[in-house]
Amino acid sequence: MVLHEVIEMVEVKLQDIVKRFGETVALKGISLDIKHGELFTMLGPSGCGKSTTLRIIAGLEYPDGGKLYFGDQDVTYLPSHQKGAVLVFQNYALWPHMSVFDNVAYGLRLKKMSKDEIRKKVEWALELIKLKGFEDRYPTQLSGGQQQRVAIARALVVEPKVLLLDEPLSNLDAKLRLEMRSEIRRIQRELGITVIYVTHDQEEAMAISDRIAVMNVGTVEQVGTPKEIYESPRTEFVASFMGKTNVIPAKVVERDGDHVTVEFESFRLDGLHYTGKSDNVVVVVRPERIRLKPTENAVSLTGTVDLIEYYGFFVEVIGLFGEVRMIARTISDREVGSLKPMQPVTFYINRGDIIVLPKEQL
Amino acid sequence: MAVNKWVERFFGTPLPDGVVMTSFLFPLLYLLVFLVIPVLVMLLTAFVYNGHVSLYWFKSIFGSPYYFNPLHPSGFLVQLIPYGNQQIYLFSGWDFGVVINSILVSISVMILTTILGVSFAFVMARYDFPGKNIVRILLFVPLLVTPFVNVVVVQKMFLPNGLINWIFYQHLHLLPHPIWIEGLVGVIVAQSMTYYPIVYLNAYASFINIDPSLEEQAENLGSRGFHLFRTVTFPLALPGIAAGAALVGIFSLEDLAAPIVFQGSAIAKKLMSFQIYSSFVSGFAIGNPQMAALALVMLTIALIIFLTIRWYVGMKQYAMLSKGGRWKPRVAKPRPLQAAIIYLLVIPTLLITIFPQIGVILLAFSKRWYGTWPEGFTLSHMGSLLTQPDILRVIENSLLYSTVAIFIILLLSLTASYAAGRFKKARLAPILDSLATIPIAVPGIVIAMSYFFFFSTVPPFKGTALDPTNLLAFFPGAALILAYSIRRLPFAARSISAGIQQVHVSLEEAAINLGAGRWKALTSILIPMILLNLLGGAMLSFVYCMSETSVGITLGSINSTWYPITAKMKELITSAVGSANLAAALGVFLMLVQILAIVLANVITKQRYSFIGLT
Repeated sequence: MVLHEVIEMVEVKLQDIVKRFGETVALKGISLDIKHGELFTMLGPSGCGKSTTLRIIAGLEYPDGGKLYFGDQDVTYLPSHQKGAVLVFQNYALWPHMSVFDNVAYGLRLKKMSKDEIRKKVEWALELIKLKGFEDRYPTQLSGGQQQRVAIARALVVEPKVLLLDEPLSNLDAKLRLEMRSEIRRIQRELGITVIYVTHDQEEAMAISDRIAVMNVGTVEQVGTPKEIYESPRTEFVASFMGKTNVIPAKVVERDGDHVTVEFESFRLDGLHYTGKSDNVVVVVRPERIRLKPTENAVSLTGTVDLIEYYGFFVEVIGLFGEVRMIARTISDREVGSLKPMQPVTFYINRGDIIVLPKEQL
Repeated sequence: MAVNKWVERFFGTPLPDGVVMTSFLFPLLYLLVFLVIPVLVMLLTAFVYNGHVSLYWFKSIFGSPYYFNPLHPSGFLVQLIPYGNQQIYLFSGWDFGVVINSILVSISVMILTTILGVSFAFVMARYDFPGKNIVRILLFVPLLVTPFVNVVVVQKMFLPNGLINWIFYQHLHLLPHPIWIEGLVGVIVAQSMTYYPIVYLNAYASFINIDPSLEEQAENLGSRGFHLFRTVTFPLALPGIAAGAALVGIFSLEDLAAPIVFQGSAIAKKLMSFQIYSSFVSGFAIGNPQMAALALVMLTIALIIFLTIRWYVGMKQYAMLSKGGRWKPRVAKPRPLQAAIIYLLVIPTLLITIFPQIGVILLAFSKRWYGTWPEGFTLSHMGSLLTQPDILRVIENSLLYSTVAIFIILLLSLTASYAAGRFKKARLAPILDSLATIPIAVPGIVIAMSYFFFFSTVPPFKGTALDPTNLLAFFPGAALILAYSIRRLPFAARSISAGIQQVHVSLEEAAINLGAGRWKALTSILIPMILLNLLGGAMLSFVYCMSETSVGITLGSINSTWYPITAKMKELITSAVGSANLAAALGVFLMLVQILAIVLANVITKQRYSFIGLT
């Protein structure tokens, strides 16, 4: 049985969703278009509103403004039990007084299916998540990873219009997390279902998603593929949230069409692409884009070595350029060579790898 | 359908939801009709004099030295008086007037129970000594509630020829003269011995719940012994201890058993609870607005204690600040001096405090008890439990009333805990939460009196079976069931809301999200998960209903066909000599019911339940 043959997976559309909790505005007008069959991730720090958005989609909260559509249907105020957007809770929310079978069968029994049909579907779901033979166990007799699988099976078996995952890996240890991550991806591909995934872990988001929405204090900062988000961040927040990166405040001192010269400390970087209005900017450079040997079309900055950190498969050189610290990351020991703290060092950066963004107002 | 702001504000759910609204409205209306309005109706009469709003009745209380005499107390605390051919110390107590007497008794009982409860709790929580398991079982004994008869035994213990003098005067020669305790001091001693387990249980739980690393850190920094206790342990346990002591203060204020037993010495009658009670039973004084005013004074004091402790405990929620996780409590072997204190002071004191319950059993199986010890073994009193029709009748009555009451209590506490615990943002949630706990602070005698006023004057109850003045049709059972359900609600609600708090809300949300309605989520997820708490709450309420005193001996004693057990017990101990033994037999019966309930609760729920000894 293939799930998407049986049920119709829908597009999910959020339009200007606003949510207030007392005086605080948790969501300040969220608009998102989630495509059919896509694994869509909402990524952001805690308190950014991602879980609230997910609970609104699940029907466990109602927005104070805006609309929610499944396909063409306005489902903004449809109660959770009629919505068909099934949530896998962060803590799995398995019922401890029911066996694995009863947990998974719960939603089917509500649909008044025949016993035979229920048994077949539960069997199918447990097979899908590789827990066949665990029917009679109780949740407390399962490991964290197994509990997670049961929670997913319980959600999938009712053939949801969209599957919602709230930080599904946060309660697992590091090794299991990687395993479950690819497991979720496998199931999603196999069934071709629409999945909305919430996490605060940018690495997890990049590895698993078709598209990511980066959220911050109740707004969506950027939506795009993992590559777009990582390589072309559109805001300072997105740039700094997506992994370790150098974010250096600077001033535009010369403009020439789309190209500008910026200045920080006593350093001047010319020929950088920037179309923003503000002259207060940040210069964003990924550590792995910084070379310690001269390359073509590169700007160079000379400072002193502050620290050298050895991580095994890569090395980070932290340089001090006046008051500004920059991290360069290299996988080549040879490039680091005999560098030592307090010695002078030169960072080379290809102009194409430098992103100039307007500085965010605090 | 769109979000309804009004529904969201009052019920916490944006969309109108029948289950949630019923869960709010049923307990709210019930408490309004059977607690708030009756008390208000009674209290209003206290403000009316000659058809005008007036403070006359309050002035009549505070202007009369009988009720309020702070400056020139009469009586004595202790006096050496001749007794036969020797001299004895007679303890009686000063008389500052009814209102101040009640407050002083209450404060004294709080202090004594705190000393007893905290000492026992600290020893049990922190020391491991040979015989500890026996002490643990012994500490269970004073938790058993035996209305009136335990006070009868306390009275006998402190007579000139009683047990205390037998030990400390005759055999240990620690007293220069025998002692005789009666009057207000008698009430204080009896109440302290009855109520200290409440402080003990609270203090024990507090000591056990202190994160050991907090004490270890203090030791690590150089603190030890009493300094450690004074600076770290005691302050951390204080909110729990204070909560226990406050409960004791309220119970002391409303207690009727001790003043009734000690009423032989006139000063023991000069307590607020007894004054209101005696106006009630003397009949012609019912409806006296002065008593309504006195009831208001008593209720105000109880509410002040209650609200102060709620505010204080709410402010000091740090006892639970430590990160979760189980830890091994700090238990040490006592050093020689500590062992000496445990064996020579703490355990003997414990033995004395459990003697009333043992005495009740002795009384039930003996023919007479005039001297130090009872005499003449007999089974006739216990046999009467099974054969004497009026005794059988009261047992049947109490079982009937209590059983009906626990169903109402469970329904009330389930709906109230669910509504107030799950929909905290609702405006009605804090109101419901307060209303469901406030019966703790409403003295039973106040409820009895309120019901009398309310049911006899306010339609549609006037003239029905609830109207006590409707002599032919009045059915006390109905009034008792209502009173039980209000008075015992907080205890069951506490057990049940603790259960609901342990069930993460996501478990219900998951069910709703998978297609279950609210009702289905409630019946298939929440209720099965808190079944043990429901059972525990049911046992607790049942035991408390069976031993309820204040309403039982007032509204419940209007018609002897419908007496509950406690009304019969009160009748027996205040009537002819010798019938105290039969009352004690009923006390033994109540003890058996309690032991059975506790054992059942422990076996079924595999959790530790204990009862907190109240009447």
